[in-house]
Amino acid sequence: MPGLIGPDEVRAVTEAALDLPGADGVEVLFLHEWGGLTRFANSSIHQSTWREDTGVRVRVQTEGRIGVAASNDFSKDGTRKAAASALEMARVVRADPSFPGLAPQAEVPQRQSGFDEATAATTPEQRAEAVAALVAQTGNGFHAAGAYETSALEVAVENSLGQFCYFPQTQASVSTVVAGGEGGTGAAEALAARHGEIDVEAAGRTAFQKARDSQRPRDLEPGAYPVVLEPTAVNTLVAFLAYLGFGGRAISEGRSPLSGREGQQVAAPSIHIYDDALSPDTLGLPFDFEGTPKRRVDLIDGGVFRGGVHDRRSAKLAGTESTGHALPPPNPEGPFPLNLFLGTGDASLQDMIGATQRGLLITRFHYSNVVHPMETIITGMTRDGTWWVEGGEVAYPVKNFRFTQSILGALANVEMVGRESTLASEFFFAAARVPALKISSFNFSGRSDH
Amino acid sequence: MLEIVRQAVEAAQTVGAAYSDARFVAEESESLTVKNQEMEGIDRSLSQGVGIRVLVDGSWGFAATARPDGPEIERTAALAVAIARAASRLPAERVRLAEVEPVRASWGTDITQDPFAVPLDEKVGLLMEASARLQGVKGVSFAEATLDFYRRRTSFASSEGSAIEQTVVNSGGGIEATAIADGEVQRRSFPNSFRGHLKAAGYDHIRSLGLIEEAERIGGEAVALLTAPACPSEVTTLVLDSNQVVLQVHESVGHPVELDRVLGMEEAFAGTSFVRPEDRGRLRYGSDLVTITADATLQGGLGTFGFDDEGVPAQRTVVVEDGIFQNFISSRETAPVLGRDARSSGAMRADGWQNLPLIRMTNISLEPREGTLAEIIGDTADGIYMDTNQSWSIDDKRVNFQFGCEIAWRIKDGRLTEMYRNPNYTGITTEFWGSCDAVGGPDAWTVWGTPNCGKGQPMQVARVGHGTPPARFRYVRVGVR
Repeated sequence: MPGLIGPDEVRAVTEAALDLPGADGVEVLFLHEWGGLTRFANSSIHQSTWREDTGVRVRVQTEGRIGVAASNDFSKDGTRKAAASALEMARVVRADPSFPGLAPQAEVPQRQSGFDEATAATTPEQRAEAVAALVAQTGNGFHAAGAYETSALEVAVENSLGQFCYFPQTQASVSTVVAGGEGGTGAAEALAARHGEIDVEAAGRTAFQKARDSQRPRDLEPGAYPVVLEPTAVNTLVAFLAYLGFGGRAISEGRSPLSGREGQQVAAPSIHIYDDALSPDTLGLPFDFEGTPKRRVDLIDGGVFRGGVHDRRSAKLAGTESTGHALPPPNPEGPFPLNLFLGTGDASLQDMIGATQRGLLITRFHYSNVVHPMETIITGMTRDGTWWVEGGEVAYPVKNFRFTQSILGALANVEMVGRESTLASEFFFAAARVPALKISSFNFSGRSDH
Repeated sequence: MLEIVRQAVEAAQTVGAAYSDARFVAEESESLTVKNQEMEGIDRSLSQGVGIRVLVDGSWGFAATARPDGPEIERTAALAVAIARAASRLPAERVRLAEVEPVRASWGTDITQDPFAVPLDEKVGLLMEASARLQGVKGVSFAEATLDFYRRRTSFASSEGSAIEQTVVNSGGGIEATAIADGEVQRRSFPNSFRGHLKAAGYDHIRSLGLIEEAERIGGEAVALLTAPACPSEVTTLVLDSNQVVLQVHESVGHPVELDRVLGMEEAFAGTSFVRPEDRGRLRYGSDLVTITADATLQGGLGTFGFDDEGVPAQRTVVVEDGIFQNFISSRETAPVLGRDARSSGAMRADGWQNLPLIRMTNISLEPREGTLAEIIGDTADGIYMDTNQSWSIDDKRVNFQFGCEIAWRIKDGRLTEMYRNPNYTGITTEFWGSCDAVGGPDAWTVWGTPNCGKGQPMQVARVGHGTPPARFRYVRVGVR
């Protein structure tokens, strides 16, 4: 098994590009990742993989012009070649007046270690055992599918202004769908920094119970219904809102539904959304991909929009400072919050169901996409556990719905917020910790046959 | 690089693999983005390494490394075998591979001009000019122009004796105008959304796109959309331009006929399929006008190659013929489910060296019938015409879908009249294809690319192709809110 390369050896290689002749500034982003994924379907392991890769992404500035080149040849020679290629590209483009310069030297805040040796060294046999333990939770006539993954990552950024930051991180995740009986599926997932924190048996039990409780779903007419959304479904709403609205560049350019709405009430007073990579309750790097230290940003507080996140370019555009939310260069889309939280409330899931006279309980959404960005309208399907709730109790499963709903519209109609939150990932590299929500009205525009 | 992959196969066999194959892949890419005549992104990347796939006791194992030196190759091969052995803790049905003739061959995309040899300043000049033309349209807020180039060199060897070298080259470009006013954002793209029109071709393809020539029209449409009424909510006749038929074919035919998905192998992630193995020759998928093929030999397709990543030769498969479902796209592992002597359709591809090959669309095409787009519109008394994909969503069995386009017009008495913004439509897969009553002819048929097809865990992104004409569908619900 590979191990950490470590900051000293990383720096010995990244520094090879910093004194590139002809360059006014050089930034090197280093990534080293390895890990295994055991995939199962029909209650059997069918695809298991392992990979290790390293990479450098070099951004070069010369006379205000910018070029970027990447290579997975992590050697002094490979890094120099990438830098030379970036310089060659920089020389043919015009000067970029919006380029804010490289990140200055700044101390990176302390963050609880995200690296767990045991997770980084997980063997194929250990992953197979975990999968077997999960599958054992399914009853007769049901089968499980999913994936169990353990991975490790080292990230470093160094630039010619003297900034150097380095952080290692591990991650373990499980996701599963259980199906069978006379038709009905259930799902569960978990994400943590350490594989010892993943309760695979609980995931298997939950998915099986949902599948068992989803048998013979009934037809229900599409329309607007009150809903209780479990955290995985809430995560979809929060992730798409971040994609559409929280980037500082999109806000400044008028492309965000939150452009010009700082200080306005955009959601229910119970809604508090913030990004905090430094929290021990998420998986986060203490710096961004430009080497800027990350800071907590309150995005929506008491339902009021406070502002977006920034990288160096969007901060210059907005006349403010980077909040440490740059993605790897080049990135025309701008900054993005990778470590979102939706603040918890005081209700249990059972409280929310109990307070629902007629409505739906939804496990998660599937294949969601944007319908109208400025109205934050997205569409998608329900999946793996959708039930009709009546008189404060779960009554029966229903066939999957298509929803077409404004995210901000839904967040404005939040009646109850869950007291427990779950870490989940909707997009690559991003994780959000969110609770369940009870929403007074949610629009379902169609339905499927299962 | 054949030496490296042969060494990898030998190392895997030595430590216990019953079957093994190895791929060395070196992928280069170049990407340029100009926005409002400023260079927002110019980058090149190179990623290379070796992926080793083994069968041990009927189970798969796969391991990949970016450092293809001798000891690392041996270590990675041993790890692939260990992973396969670990699968015995919860074994699937023993894998039996469909037969394939071992082959020694080389193959390359037929290109006229190597896009990586074209000077950067020429590429930058094209994008600056296209961006300037877009920006010259009053009301355009953002004028973006892009170019993307890929070159993938693959060396493949298997323990059955195959040794194949391939070079696949893709080139693409596009423009996009964004207009913003009064809380509305509208975008128009050309020739297609999501960075334009990517093909298996050289730089000559870029010269043929007309990015500069079409810029003013596209910019004007983006601005006009700001004040256009929203697409009305109704059930009507729907005409789709060929670049939206691409998305329709991709999501509601291409994915549902992947045999691994049908067999439950993708159940936890992207879902399964409403199509079953026993549906071959029986299921009415669409009207008599609907014939769909999977063709990895199609000139210019992003799914065009000489051999797939199992060494199976490129081939053409009829998926739907005159409306009746006929065949899946398959692999050596899955094909035997369809019959003891069934062969792979040659659809296994991996995203780079670091991923296991999966069944991926090759070039899934709606075969042409007759007529042009103008003739189809001219033959429509009342309906809506939609152009250029904007969004997509479909359920986990590929039954209920909802797709959005950038722009639409009312068709009245055979003519385009009022423009609509934010158009979308929804339907049920077989009902929708069953309502198809016009499919354009060869002159209206275009080979498009879908560069962002996601599948598998870890997520893999494939570039796949679709040949499509415009088509007409009846009784479609549009303007979903």
